[in-house]
Amino acid sequence: MSEQMEMDELAYSSRMVNWAPLGKLIFVMAMLIIGLLADSLVVPLITFAIGFALMAYSTNLKIPLILALAIGEAILIMIIGSGMISIMGDHSQPALWEAQFLWFDIHMTEQSFNNAWQIFVRAVAGVTLMLSFACSTPIPHLAHAFRSLHCPNEITELVVLIYRYAFLLLERFLVMLDAAQCRLGYNGSMTAMRSYGGAMAGTFIFSMELAEKSEAALACRNYQGYFPIYHPPKSMSIMWVVVSVGLAVALYFVGKYTEGWINMAEIMAPLFGW
Amino acid sequence: MSNAVLEADNVFHSYSRKGPKVLNGMCIDVPKGKKTALLGCNGAGKSTLFSVLNALYKPEDGKVLYNDKPLTYKHKDIIRMRTDVSILFQNPNDMIFKPYVEQDVAFGPENLKLPKEEVESRVAEALFTVGMEKYRKFPIMKLSYGQRKRVTLAGVLAMRPSVLIMDEPTAGLDPQMAYEVMEIAEQLNASGVTVIMSSHDTDLTYSWADEIRVLHGGQCMYSGLPEPFYSDHRKVQTAGLIRPSVFMMNKALSDLGRCDLEPYPKTQTQLSVKISDCRDRDFGTLNILMAETDTDIAKALEDNGLTDVTTGIYGLNARIAADATGFKPKFRYNGPENCTMKCLSGEDAVLICDSRMVDLAKSSAEFINSNGYGKIDIRSV
Amino acid sequence: MDSVFELKDVVFAYNQTAEPILNGFSLEIERGVRTSILGCNGAGKTTFFNTLTGVNKPQSGEVLFNGNPVEYTKKGLMDLRSNVAVVLQNPDEQIFCSLVEEDIAFGPLNIGLDREEVERRVDRALKDVRLIGLNRRPLQQLSGGQRKRVAIAGALAMQPDILIMDEPTAGLDPQAAVEVMELAEKMSLKGVTVLISTHDIDLAYKWAETTNVFRNGAVAFRGNGDEFYSDIDNVYSCGLLAPSIFTMNKDVSAIKGMDPKPYPHNMCEITAKFGGSKRSGKIYMVPAEAENAVSKYEEVVKDAKDSTVGIYGSEVRFELQDKDIEFMFEGLDYCFTQAVKGKDTILIYDSIYAPTIQRQIDRLKEFGFDADTEVVG
Repeated sequence: MSEQMEMDELAYSSRMVNWAPLGKLIFVMAMLIIGLLADSLVVPLITFAIGFALMAYSTNLKIPLILALAIGEAILIMIIGSGMISIMGDHSQPALWEAQFLWFDIHMTEQSFNNAWQIFVRAVAGVTLMLSFACSTPIPHLAHAFRSLHCPNEITELVVLIYRYAFLLLERFLVMLDAAQCRLGYNGSMTAMRSYGGAMAGTFIFSMELAEKSEAALACRNYQGYFPIYHPPKSMSIMWVVVSVGLAVALYFVGKYTEGWINMAEIMAPLFGW
Repeated sequence: MSNAVLEADNVFHSYSRKGPKVLNGMCIDVPKGKKTALLGCNGAGKSTLFSVLNALYKPEDGKVLYNDKPLTYKHKDIIRMRTDVSILFQNPNDMIFKPYVEQDVAFGPENLKLPKEEVESRVAEALFTVGMEKYRKFPIMKLSYGQRKRVTLAGVLAMRPSVLIMDEPTAGLDPQMAYEVMEIAEQLNASGVTVIMSSHDTDLTYSWADEIRVLHGGQCMYSGLPEPFYSDHRKVQTAGLIRPSVFMMNKALSDLGRCDLEPYPKTQTQLSVKISDCRDRDFGTLNILMAETDTDIAKALEDNGLTDVTTGIYGLNARIAADATGFKPKFRYNGPENCTMKCLSGEDAVLICDSRMVDLAKSSAEFINSNGYGKIDIRSV
Repeated sequence: MDSVFELKDVVFAYNQTAEPILNGFSLEIERGVRTSILGCNGAGKTTFFNTLTGVNKPQSGEVLFNGNPVEYTKKGLMDLRSNVAVVLQNPDEQIFCSLVEEDIAFGPLNIGLDREEVERRVDRALKDVRLIGLNRRPLQQLSGGQRKRVAIAGALAMQPDILIMDEPTAGLDPQAAVEVMELAEKMSLKGVTVLISTHDIDLAYKWAETTNVFRNGAVAFRGNGDEFYSDIDNVYSCGLLAPSIFTMNKDVSAIKGMDPKPYPHNMCEITAKFGGSKRSGKIYMVPAEAENAVSKYEEVVKDAKDSTVGIYGSEVRFELQDKDIEFMFEGLDYCFTQAVKGKDTILIYDSIYAPTIQRQIDRLKEFGFDADTEVVG
């Protein structure tokens, strides 16, 4: 609940809130894809830096705890994932480290070690880029952008409504859990299950009622099938595409040129005595 | 040994780490066996305080005392406390966990892991108290808002609490339904339950509450009898409240020299009496007919020669008895007040009253008698 | 008679097999009249409102808007809904955007007004509900009372001829409730027909000129509230109770052997009726705007030190909120009560409310009380 609210606040107070949402999206996607395509470790490092810089600009150099936590969480998960990749090397190659641990057959090769790093940096860069987009673009702006791409109104309208009601439904669900607690709804695990079930059913019914009432309220407010925006963000200029594609192409060549520059196995070698 | 059943001692609480303190050094007590009103504007911390008193939130700092013992927040302790202290949430829809009335009322007792027969009898009793026994097998979705409110009240009563916390109990209810909820609250209090309710409605709580607690900015800014608080317009304004109209009117009339400021009238009947200044008139007799659920009211009236007298009704058992025999009283709501007024205008009246509620029913008439505004004969039959 | 809405024998059910919610429903809403709608839960109030806004199309019967039958076409409905605005009980049900000003602009943008007009209306509406400075605030950060004001602003921005308010004071603090009612009064003075449905009988009794009572999907009463409440059996059968001022007047009149008429509707009137015959205290009436409220206040307080001060109108109140004022809310009623008591008072009000105050002076004459007023500044 509070996380969702915090992201929403962050998006509206972002310095990039009035940038074209579509432009931002294209730019972020271009960076993401090129980071994934390039074989060099340098490219995802650069895209990571871009993402981080955008985030810093967006939040006025005050990166809030929630974003730091999100990135931290991603790093943690990626460390586990990459760790797994690094120890599942190809058995035909010489091992840097070989061991037997429970039922794991650990066989770390130079290639698997480097691969793991590659994936790790790509993933972190991707998460950072996506977050920089998310923390500067409110969902209604995104829906507006989709509409300008001739996305059907029904879909964009659904996005806006779901976004709006997610807050209300969650609020409701939490109150119901409190109410269950007051009636000893957690006195034992079976009871707890029943309480959760009841609260979910209640929230579901509430959402149906809300939908019905909203339909009437929308009609009363002369709803014409889409949500107009009073202060629309700038619409996308061709510059966004040019910059995005240009930077992506440039990074592609950077990737080609720098392939193999950074060999993590070599850098780490003294640390582990390989 | 204090007489507080629940107490918050210098409690601090906020919803997020950096967020504002919703409770900011709250010191408050809930006196045992009384009717207490918790007043304050939106955001003063009423609901949060209730959640802390019911151990839904553990305060960041400070103590919550239940029967003079600090809460330990151990599972067992909390369960024991919650069997005694129940909250009625403002919106009944928040409290409905089951599709059918009796299942939902049984939710609490079942969680207590009571034997089946005990659950059954509690459900029956609770539904009876709120006057919903006819709807036992009904799907809740088909009930109106007011009826749902009663079902959730029954759900809370089925826990047999000794302390009942009500969050804005009359919000969204139509006037009759609101009156009935208040009457049920009176009835519970008369049978020994401590009742505390939060409300914006100063008019409503003024006539109901023994004591008030006023919250402002996460602290308790006033605690005690209502009159001293309402006499200070600055405090009332800071608290975001409006003075009750009965209080203001009494003040206006006493300033005019029509009556003394004290004793403070609590209800409009008592105020009317003060204004009317009718000491030297003839009064009617207030007959109180004590009713049990199986009393045949029409017959009882006939036996006492009261067939043509204006009737009013008050209390659960009396209502049940009236419904059972199809008896239609003149004053279905505000019975005690309306009957007392009848007596003042010189006519007799009969109040058909639940035998447990007699003292309350007499209170307006006794206010008149004991303060020398008149003399109403009160006759119990 | 000039009526904005006329419903004739309307029957409406949610589907063919269901019991009709409105069953032979006929009602007229007069232009410019403060109208209250009463009735217990399930009496058909919401369905009635939805019929006025064209959301519910009746199965039979006629709905006339400004004398013409409502056309259930896109254009016809748009025309209707540009003139009829609704404020629902729960603001969350009618707020669809995430930012305050986005939501207020929602209605005007939907009817395709041009940009400048929308901006003008949004600013005006923000000012009317005193939400200036919060225009770019996300809605989930606002309190319930503030959200209610956003919903009202959204309705005002439509500049409707008819404003329907469903339980306008439910869930609000008493002070916020007073402000909402002042706003309703202001709209009414601007020529808007205001319809309020409420469970708060005291409030409706004080405010309304015409009382409509619904029961089981039909109109049980239409007319003067005094007449309705005089028949207590009928009141009970409609699921209502009599307002406390009404009951008190009836009781005291009966005891004193007085005529219950004229019926007092607020505190100053009941005090005037039963309070006796003292001479009136002087009421210094100070019409003010937001810009000059503070200077006028200071000037008038200097001249009349011992008088209590009352406020009516949210613009003046906002400017004077730090001052020590005894009757910050409901100043109109309290100041006149003070005058009845023979005490001098100062009443500072938004100048738009002059007719409301004149109305109170005229009302008090019916009770044989001639208020001694003097307009200052």
